[in-house]
Amino acid sequence: MKICLVCSHGGHLTELLCLKEAFEGHETFFVTYDSTRTRGLERRYLLQNIGTNPLVMAQAFLSMLRILLKEKPKLIVSTGSEIAIPAFYLAKILRIKTIFIESWTRLDRPTGTGKIVYPVSDVFLVQWERLLSKYGKKARYEGAIL
Amino acid sequence: MIFVTVGMHTKGFDRLLKKMDELAGTVGEEVVMQIGHTSFRPTNAKWFDFTTEAGIKEWCKKARVVVTQPAMSILDAQEQGTPVIVVPRLKRYDEVIDDHQLDFARELEKEGKVTVVYDVDRLEEVLQKSDLKAQELVKDGRLVNALKKYIAQFEPD
Repeated sequence: MKICLVCSHGGHLTELLCLKEAFEGHETFFVTYDSTRTRGLERRYLLQNIGTNPLVMAQAFLSMLRILLKEKPKLIVSTGSEIAIPAFYLAKILRIKTIFIESWTRLDRPTGTGKIVYPVSDVFLVQWERLLSKYGKKARYEGAIL
Repeated sequence: MIFVTVGMHTKGFDRLLKKMDELAGTVGEEVVMQIGHTSFRPTNAKWFDFTTEAGIKEWCKKARVVVTQPAMSILDAQEQGTPVIVVPRLKRYDEVIDDHQLDFARELEKEGKVTVVYDVDRLEEVLQKSDLKAQELVKDGRLVNALKKYIAQFEPD
């Protein structure tokens, strides 16, 4: 199955790389931010860092749409951050399944991205049991990267 | 050598880098910094803004101790068997969006996984301790297994 891995280029990428064993036997590609680090990834699409810039977010929606239409993944997995927003909302329209994993560094405080993608995620995982109370019934705790 | 890394964060971490640059001029040990988006430019320490995955690992391996934020850079240091000191970014200095790094640092400290310095004025004293130990990384396989289970559910028949 083709899986699209979506994450920003720092710690969120490190978390996704910690989970790479879960994707063995599947075809994967990354959509992440352009940086010295991510240029070293094998199969990847590199976008401009969205941060809090609405214009760059709009551009990211267009780029993400092009990538998803071209690659046609069956599933998107993301560990955040805001780059997951265009991916998950487009996935809803394109009927691509989604799994979101909230960051390991989040014990009690949900991320802004987590709150935004929660309603459209097919699977929503947190890495601390106590964070469950901040999300709805769909959220699950199934362990953490460490 | 002391390696300081502040990752890809879009906000700078001046408070940590200024203190470490000051110490670079006095402690008699080489200090190398990855400064990311921090606007402050060190004058005593060697520095660069970003590097590759391999580059970070190499600096972490060479270092006696790694000083960083309580985030995934901890793993880079621990994978290389290097002791880690973390300094949480704080919202009140506009170093981060909220105080989740403070929560995370407190939890890791409680579990004995890292040494935490909350006040940068204590860095010199903590860096000079000879009993800084590298913590072993123990991966929790549960999340990987859960992911495999969900992925299998989504596979077309």
